[in-house]
Amino acid sequence: MNLTQYFSLIDTMARMSLKADASRYFFGYIWWVLEPLLYVLVFYVVFELILQNRKEDFLVFLMVGKLTFIWFSKSVNQAARSIVNSGGLISKANISKSLFPMAMVQEGLYKQLSVFLLLFVVLLFNGYPITTAWFWLIPLILVNYIVIVASCLVCAFLVCLVFDFIVMVSLGTIFLLFVSGIFWDPRDLPDPAATDLILLLNPLAFVIDAYRQILMVGVAPDAWHLLGIGAGFGLLALGMVLLLRRASRFLALKVLTA
Amino acid sequence: MTADDIQAVAPQAEDGRRVMLELRNVSHSFHARKESFEHGVHQVLDGVSLKLLEGETLGIIGRNGAGKTTMLRIMAGIFAPTSGKILRQPGASVSLLSLGLGFQPQLSGRDNALLSAMLQGFSKREAESRLEEIREFSELGQSFDEPVKTYSSGMNARLGFTTALLNKVDILLIDEVLSVGDAEFRQKAEEAMRDRLSGGRTAVFVSHAEGQVKKLCSRVVWIEEGAVRAEGDPERVLKQYRPPGPASEAISRRGNASNDRPR
Repeated sequence: MNLTQYFSLIDTMARMSLKADASRYFFGYIWWVLEPLLYVLVFYVVFELILQNRKEDFLVFLMVGKLTFIWFSKSVNQAARSIVNSGGLISKANISKSLFPMAMVQEGLYKQLSVFLLLFVVLLFNGYPITTAWFWLIPLILVNYIVIVASCLVCAFLVCLVFDFIVMVSLGTIFLLFVSGIFWDPRDLPDPAATDLILLLNPLAFVIDAYRQILMVGVAPDAWHLLGIGAGFGLLALGMVLLLRRASRFLALKVLTA
Repeated sequence: MTADDIQAVAPQAEDGRRVMLELRNVSHSFHARKESFEHGVHQVLDGVSLKLLEGETLGIIGRNGAGKTTMLRIMAGIFAPTSGKILRQPGASVSLLSLGLGFQPQLSGRDNALLSAMLQGFSKREAESRLEEIREFSELGQSFDEPVKTYSSGMNARLGFTTALLNKVDILLIDEVLSVGDAEFRQKAEEAMRDRLSGGRTAVFVSHAEGQVKKLCSRVVWIEEGAVRAEGDPERVLKQYRPPGPASEAISRRGNASNDRPR
């Protein structure tokens, strides 16, 4: 299978899955934006209405954080099960097992494009202007995508190796939800050193903060930091693709005899 | 775990015919779940050697759990043998057709057929150009565009068989598929297979239906407890497989059932 075929397959699998998914629900494709919005609503009710959050323009702040975090968390949780759930296709031919998590990543990407569109409309309606900093969205979204690809491949591999890891995946994404500054701002911490530490140690916190800096403040993110995250996760993703290819028949045995 | 044990080198010809695939002393075992087996290791194949010649239809018979499905999976390159070697004619494409597996239940028959063809290495355009032919041959009609989870096992078999047959692979590995579906389609499928096979295609055919094995296969291998028990002319091997006496009737009856559990 050459590279064109590989990407064509990922694209076809993702589109088919989206189509099958949409036909299952009464609201079909509307759920692509409705579900993330409902998540935002839940957080808004808890933090703004019940806990009386004092942050200025909290709804927009929350939307930027939550709508970008959901892209990561949903992709990872779905991709984690993707190899173990594909016994049917795996029993047919010796195919690279990275196809399955990659198809999930692609599916998430197609959904996210409409979510981004919604987010931009919300920002414009709330008086946030389009600035030159918005150009930084291109590398930022690319790095965000690479982080998702690498994480999905790692989780899908580990879950295939030991199914129990699936518990860690859902727990891990909840942990990241709390420590990545979705409903709180790392920049509001009293100690600036703590802010720096969080943005340095947690790539997701940096990415989400970068979205807010670009979209809400009009400031470009730290280019070297962004490049570092992109390169690190890019290498990890590449290594995982090679590992999944090399372990292909071992993983098939795991899936089909589990 | 690695792909090194499948070698894309031409195995030595036998009787002037090309050998498409050769298993050399292949064994296969896996660590089963602890609670299922006393020692945790499940030996499925034990030192199997055989050659698949170009244009022949090789039948594989054996009782439930004898290791037939695992052997097909090793031939298809889906599993790696624990020890031993597999030699395959360079560039030869292989497809494994087994019942009940291989389809995404939520997708339509059309989408599944498209995916199957693409997984076998066809481009999307090539795969799409075959869809109408698949719809017609499989006689699925409007159901072709409905989710596979709504299909009966016969419809499933028709779709699976047609998809694999029309996708012109060099080595077709067929696991129990022809023994399901209605009699009319079974006959049509058998004829289509004979047509294709006379065109020089190579096939391995696992079945419990002795009639089909006799009709379609030029050679038969009998697998028992993971090892080759007998090999050669279908009449002779089937006779050995079916011991004389009252037991033969029971085996024959059991043989006609199509509930072989893959392992």
